[in-house]
Amino acid sequence: MAEGLGVYLRLAAASVRATARRPAHLAARFLAAALIVTLEVAGVALLLDRFGSIGGWRPAEVVLLFGLGFTAQGLALVFGDTLEADEVSKLVRRGTFDQILTRPASPLGWVVASYVDTRFFGRSLAGAGTVVWAADRAGVAWTAGRAGLAVLAVACAAAIIFGVLLAAAGFTFVTVQGSEAVDVLIYGGQYLASYPMHIYGSALRFLFVWLVPIGLAIYAPALGVLGRQGPPGLPAWLAWLAAPVAAAFLAAGGLAWRAGIRHYVGTGS
Amino acid sequence: MTNALIEVEGLRKRFRTRRGPVEAVAGIDFRVQAGEFVGYAGPNGAGKSTTVKMMSGILLPSGGRVEVCGLVPYRERKRLARRMGVVFGQRTQLWWDLPLEESFELVGHLYRIPAADRRARLRRLEEVLSLGPLLPVPVRSLSLGQRMRAELAAAVLPAPEVLFLDEPTIGLDVEAKAAVRDFLRQLNRDQGTTVILTTHDLDDITRLCSRLMIIDHGRLIYDGTVEALRTAYGTTRVLVVDLAEDEPVELAGAVLARAEGRRRWLEFARDEVSAAELIARLLAGHEVADLTLEEPDIEDIVRRIYRGEAPP
Repeated sequence: MAEGLGVYLRLAAASVRATARRPAHLAARFLAAALIVTLEVAGVALLLDRFGSIGGWRPAEVVLLFGLGFTAQGLALVFGDTLEADEVSKLVRRGTFDQILTRPASPLGWVVASYVDTRFFGRSLAGAGTVVWAADRAGVAWTAGRAGLAVLAVACAAAIIFGVLLAAAGFTFVTVQGSEAVDVLIYGGQYLASYPMHIYGSALRFLFVWLVPIGLAIYAPALGVLGRQGPPGLPAWLAWLAAPVAAAFLAAGGLAWRAGIRHYVGTGS
Repeated sequence: MTNALIEVEGLRKRFRTRRGPVEAVAGIDFRVQAGEFVGYAGPNGAGKSTTVKMMSGILLPSGGRVEVCGLVPYRERKRLARRMGVVFGQRTQLWWDLPLEESFELVGHLYRIPAADRRARLRRLEEVLSLGPLLPVPVRSLSLGQRMRAELAAAVLPAPEVLFLDEPTIGLDVEAKAAVRDFLRQLNRDQGTTVILTTHDLDDITRLCSRLMIIDHGRLIYDGTVEALRTAYGTTRVLVVDLAEDEPVELAGAVLARAEGRRRWLEFARDEVSAAELIARLLAGHEVADLTLEEPDIEDIVRRIYRGEAPP
C-alpha cells in the first residue's frame, strides 16, 4: 500500500503540473476562488454588524464558522470535485472510466488523484485566513487544544463532505445521470452550517447535526474554540462525536462507491 | 489445464434496457494461444467491444467462463492489468496536458517497471515508432497519427503478454496506418505478444491477422484463417483481360461481367474451372495485350456474411 500511495501522489503531482502549464490560468482560478470566499465573508460580516449579534453570537464568532466551513469544503473539493455527479457521468459516458478500470490501480485512487482541482485550494486557504481573522476579532486566545479543535472541525467536515460526494458518485454509476441533489447538501449544508446551529428550527437542526452532520462537525468544535458551553441539546462535548461520525460517513461513502462500481462492472454502459 | 492464453467458454452478456433484456454476447467459445494475432470483426452492436470488455475485466459476464493469462478478469482485474495492454483508438490513455515523456514516466511507475528497463525499452520504442522528436511535446498537440504511435508505445512499455486494440488505425492516413501496422507486426513476431485486434478495417485484418473471428448478433459466425474464409465464400474470381482488339469474347466456364473499351471482366467459379485453363482457352481464340486475376474482395465476403449468406 505504501508503494501504492507513491503512485497516487505521482498522479496527483502530474495533474497539478498539467494545470500549472498555464500558470496565468491557474493563478486566476485560484484567486477567483479565494476572492469569492473573501467577498462572501465580507458581506456576511457587514450584514451581521447591523444586527450586533445573532442567537447571542457576535459577528466575528459567526464568521469563524463560515471560515471553518469554507476551509473544509475547499479541502474536500480539491480531491472530490470529480466525484460530483456530472463529472462522474462524463467519465462514464466518454469511456474514460473503462480505461481507468484497465489500469493496475484502485479506480477511486485514480479518479481522486488524477483530477486534483487546485482552484479549491484557493477556497480552502481563504477559509483558513477567515478563521484566523475572525478568531482574532472574537478575541480567541489560541491554545494547542483550541487549534486542535479547529483542525478537527475542518478535517471532520471535509471528511463528511467527501463521504457524501463518494456516495453520490457511487449512485451516479447506477443512474449515469448528473444530479443536483448532492450540491444541495454540500453547498447548502456548508452554508447552513456557517450559522450557529441553535438558531435553526428543530427539523433543519436535526438534518445538519445528525443526518448530514456538517453542522455537528463545525458547530460543536467551534463552541470549544470560542470557549462556549453550547445551548441545551447541543453541548460542546459533542465535538468528540465529530471524528467517529466523520469516519462513519467516509466509510459509508466508500461502500456506496464500491457498490456503484460493482453495478457498473455488472451491467456496463 | 491447457496453455491457451485466452479461454472463453459459453460466454454471455445480457444487458437490461428499457425495451427489455438484450443479449449482447449470446454464448461464444474460443481459445487464443500465446503469440496469435487475432482479428475480431463484426458490424456495429454485434458484441465486439462487449467481448473485449469482459476479457479485460471491465465487465462481468452474465454467464460462461473467461480466463486471460490464467486469471479471471473481473475478479483479478488489477493483476491482469499488469499483464495486458489496451488501446482504445478513440480515447487517450496518455496525460493530455503533459509532455509525452512524462506519460511514459508515469506508466513506468504505475506498472513498476525498473527504471533501467524502462529506459532501454523506451529507447527501442522511440526508434521503431520514431517518437524522439515528440517526447517534449504535450500530448494535446500531437497529430492523430503521432498520438496513436505514442498510445501504442505506452501500452507496450510494460511488456504486456496480451494487447487489446480497438480500432487502432481509425482516422489515420495511409502512412500513419502503415507505421502502426508495421509496428504491430514486429511486436507480434519479435516479442511474441498476443494481439486481439477489433476493427472495422478489414485491410488491417488481412494484412496482420493470422486468424479472423467474426461476431454478429452476439454469436461467433466465423473463426478461422482469412485464407479459409476466401476459399469458403470467395468462389467467384475475376479474370481482367485487355484485348489487342475490340471484339466480343465468349468463353466456356466464364461470364462476361463488364466491358469497357478493350477491357473485359470475366467471372468464373474457382471450383469449376482453373484460372490456367481459362487463360489457355482465352489465348486460343484471342490476341491478349495484358491480363490480371482478381481474387474475391474480403470486404465483399464479410459483407455477405453479415447479410447472413451461407457459404456456397
